[in-house]
Amino acid sequence: MDEEDDYWNTSETKEKAFSFDDDVLSPQEILAIGKNQSPGQSDDLFTSTSISNVKTVTLPLSSLVSPKVLDLILLAQSGKDPKPVQADPEQTVAVTIKRLVLGRPASLYGHRSLKSKTELLEAALAVGDGNAILTVVLFLIQTLNKKLVYELLSSRPLALNQYISFLQNEGKISELTDLLTMLGRSPDAAMYQFQQQMRAQGGSVDGSLRKVTNLVANHFNQPGTDAHQAKMLADYVKLLEWQKFAAKPILDHKSALYCLAYCCTNHWHEGAGNMMSPLTLCQRQQISPLQYDWVVLNVHAKSGKWDIVESLFTKKDWLGRTTVSSHIPVESLLARLSELKASRQLLATCVNKVAASHDRLRLALAYKIHAVVIETYAKQKDRQALTNYKMTLNPQSEDYILVENTLRDNAVKWKN
Amino acid sequence: MEQPLALKLTSLCVISQCKLERILSLCGDKKDLIIDPSLIKPLERICGVSWLRQHGIDKIYKMDPQLGPTANTNRVYFIPACVQKYKCVLDQISSVLSQNTTLSDKNCFHIIILPKVVCSFDALLENRGLHGIVMLHPFTWELMALDEQLLSLELPFLFKQFFVEQNHSLLSSIPMALWSLFHVIGRPKAIFSAGKLSASVLDILEVYNETYNRDFLTEQSSTEIGALIVIDRSQDYASSLLTPATYSGLLSEIFNISCGHLELNVEDTKIKKGKLNFDFEEQNAQTKSTIMTLDSSIDSLYGEIKHRHFSEVLSVLSSKAKLLKNEDIKALGIQEMKHFVATKLQQVTLFKQSLVNHVLACETIISEMSNKFENLKLAETEMLNNKNKKSNFTFVDENFGTDIHIYNSLRLMCLLSLTQGLSYDEYNTLVNKYLLAFGYKFLYIFSNLITAGFLIQPSSLKLSLNISNLGNLSDRLPKWQNSFQTTANKLKQLPSQPENVGKSTPSYVFNGGYVPLISVICSAVLTSDSLLEILTKLSALPDLKVGGKILDTFKVGMETFNEKLSNLKPQNDFEFGCRDAKNLSKLLKNDTKLNSVFPLKPKSVLVYVIGGVNYAEIAACDVVQKTTGSKIYIASDCIASGSDLMAASN
Repeated sequence: MDEEDDYWNTSETKEKAFSFDDDVLSPQEILAIGKNQSPGQSDDLFTSTSISNVKTVTLPLSSLVSPKVLDLILLAQSGKDPKPVQADPEQTVAVTIKRLVLGRPASLYGHRSLKSKTELLEAALAVGDGNAILTVVLFLIQTLNKKLVYELLSSRPLALNQYISFLQNEGKISELTDLLTMLGRSPDAAMYQFQQQMRAQGGSVDGSLRKVTNLVANHFNQPGTDAHQAKMLADYVKLLEWQKFAAKPILDHKSALYCLAYCCTNHWHEGAGNMMSPLTLCQRQQISPLQYDWVVLNVHAKSGKWDIVESLFTKKDWLGRTTVSSHIPVESLLARLSELKASRQLLATCVNKVAASHDRLRLALAYKIHAVVIETYAKQKDRQALTNYKMTLNPQSEDYILVENTLRDNAVKWKN
Repeated sequence: MEQPLALKLTSLCVISQCKLERILSLCGDKKDLIIDPSLIKPLERICGVSWLRQHGIDKIYKMDPQLGPTANTNRVYFIPACVQKYKCVLDQISSVLSQNTTLSDKNCFHIIILPKVVCSFDALLENRGLHGIVMLHPFTWELMALDEQLLSLELPFLFKQFFVEQNHSLLSSIPMALWSLFHVIGRPKAIFSAGKLSASVLDILEVYNETYNRDFLTEQSSTEIGALIVIDRSQDYASSLLTPATYSGLLSEIFNISCGHLELNVEDTKIKKGKLNFDFEEQNAQTKSTIMTLDSSIDSLYGEIKHRHFSEVLSVLSSKAKLLKNEDIKALGIQEMKHFVATKLQQVTLFKQSLVNHVLACETIISEMSNKFENLKLAETEMLNNKNKKSNFTFVDENFGTDIHIYNSLRLMCLLSLTQGLSYDEYNTLVNKYLLAFGYKFLYIFSNLITAGFLIQPSSLKLSLNISNLGNLSDRLPKWQNSFQTTANKLKQLPSQPENVGKSTPSYVFNGGYVPLISVICSAVLTSDSLLEILTKLSALPDLKVGGKILDTFKVGMETFNEKLSNLKPQNDFEFGCRDAKNLSKLLKNDTKLNSVFPLKPKSVLVYVIGGVNYAEIAACDVVQKTTGSKIYIASDCIASGSDLMAASN
């Protein structure tokens, strides 16, 4: 197997990169060398020299472009006309659109017939310059009645989207709602309304509660509204009501899981039925068992309440052995327990839950759960692997002694 | 004397400087600069504080809605073209004016808007009664050379505007940047575009070419760049959604990178910040972290490891450390010491600093990602190949239920949706978990992801039967054949044995699972013997167009902008700067005149990605340029990781 090929795929390579091996230095060793001072170097120099201070060399302007070309570039940026402005250029559609694309001032008021206006829009769309499209659409809004404009826009999605984003950016939400409703897109209008309100969020929970309740009543109960979206907003209302009841500023506008974590920390022992009990919140917001377990695990482990973690996530089986029981899949649980610095014991219990010995060994190696590694090698009667593993352990450690004892154990019939 | 291309590219900032100088000269003699904080870093690439002072800037302030009186009456604001920021500046000017009405005649308010002044800005100025009092100045700075062969416009907000908001007002800033770039490096004779925005960019570019056609401009094609490829980000979302396996790719997953500068914050990484927070104390401890410049011409060590598969990086760093160690051991005499201090000391010091930084970065990557990387890559590869849909959904669902991340989890959901699809119930299960974790207010994010094309909206059966939706019924029915795999297979983007992919194929950037589209297009353009061959290889691309001098033989008459527009038929593509590849293929079969252009000469390509390119794509192109013996220059509005694109939907 080519170990170089996939660094992450084998825990062996990971071990190697970290081990004090002759071939590859560990990060700590490299850091030691890097931080080691060069002869004659003072501390001062080291800290004051930063890599970004190195200045790059540039060519003089004249070897990049000629003065004439530079003038052209500056002219293009400014969007001004070249010196002699024609007295009265013909106001064709093409001339107007070209001026718009170049960012030059252009009056559109010469285009008065519906045909000419439609051509303007078509031409702007053909070029695809959003600024030209928007300019034409805003001109149409000023000079045509809404019905005609909406008709023109409804068959031209590019122009419509450009206009929608304009209305949204300008905060003209009622106009946007009118437009979308007229086009039979009320659900989209509802979502824009929602987005607008959420972005402007702040202030009291009570205020948000009123806003969201209104939105649900006026926009999310119409035919065509997505049932799940409506349910999510109903759940939102429930959460805001709960936050209003809790009256804790720290929880205002926070997510359901954040509130749950708060309840787990501060109201763990309150029973179901009590508003601040984690169970009540869980039922109210229909938090899945998986998410509940995850929050509970993190909250209690972080505050060092390992007794609660163990009582919740382990149980004794009928033989009296301790085993892990959680909605969190074993591998994720193990990874998280390891990050949270759980006891060796708990990690071992967790990895022992993995049925397939191949996977168990892989995980035990990855998380350095030595007892499980040793036990698994012994079960596989693999003396060689166990002997090699011994080399990676600290000679004074308990685990080292465990390996030695296991190797000496006469009950094991080694295969090699 | 002809200068090397690399030097020309790093010198583009000199032109930007001229552009800014011209604007500042219109803003009075002594003035204050009030700058949006996001523009400080890129501006530093154009000029320094002393240059600004030489051009009349007295004091510099960060733009802040609460900004009080400033030193001078002349105020020059410098902001990106975002309506909210613009309104904020107008509010501030109005309030200054209300305190001192005489200022309205003094021509003392200027707003420099990057990269363009949008028509609605003009209207807003008039609407607020500020027309004639406040001057607006468009400033389109040139592409910035962030690294060797890597250029960026540093307009990171374009993706959000173009794809999430569907607002294309600033699109013309891209052809303008390309147009001035071509005055420096020459115009490539072959041009390709993939995607609707890219086609518009070529059309607008042609408008510039036609308008600013002067007799002192050379008609000759570039001797340095053979072809230009412009591509919409939306043509290859998979490359943004997948987790990269290269060093620079992983750096961008973990650390904030802007304008080529990485903030080496090993405590508070992007991964940590995006996860559920279970601490109830506000954390305000702002640690100042080291800044690393991701530029190989400054940090040669970075140049050596940036494109490497992450598994190799530590051993490279280790071998460098050993070399240093040996150097240290050497006992130096007084003379040798003097020589060392005079010639090599600073170099060695910088090198050590860079070594330390890269090792710290590696350690952080390992501690943040090593537990999950294997399973993540496995699930991603299965999704790409449309295998084990059920277990892939379980994987994503578990991720949403446990270690959910505000952006990275969305990436997984989007990837699954694009490659294998999500049913109405599956979709809502994930949405529900996400909203519980981060707040119901984020419901709109999913609509935005659908608009941007990251998610395919599933529909409930009830909805499909609604009469008003009957017209779209065919779109809403589940597809048995996934279009993602059909296209990706035709373009050879899915290696059949991901686990056996070597380092010399572009797919290594995603651990063998996927070849980024831009490297596929580059490879086709660089290795084909005729235009027809390129078009055949890329025939699965829906919106491919071709432009440039190579098409001159097909032009009927002059075909000016005016003529083209007046002959435009409704619903037809404009095709001013480029032509549809499918129609062209038919013509080419009967015509061999064009074959002289290919194989491409000079063998070099410039790729512009509209909406942000990522480090994995850059590394994949590096493989292509090495295997084909060519040069690939990459340009974009910014370097954006998958999580940056997700953040744009917020």
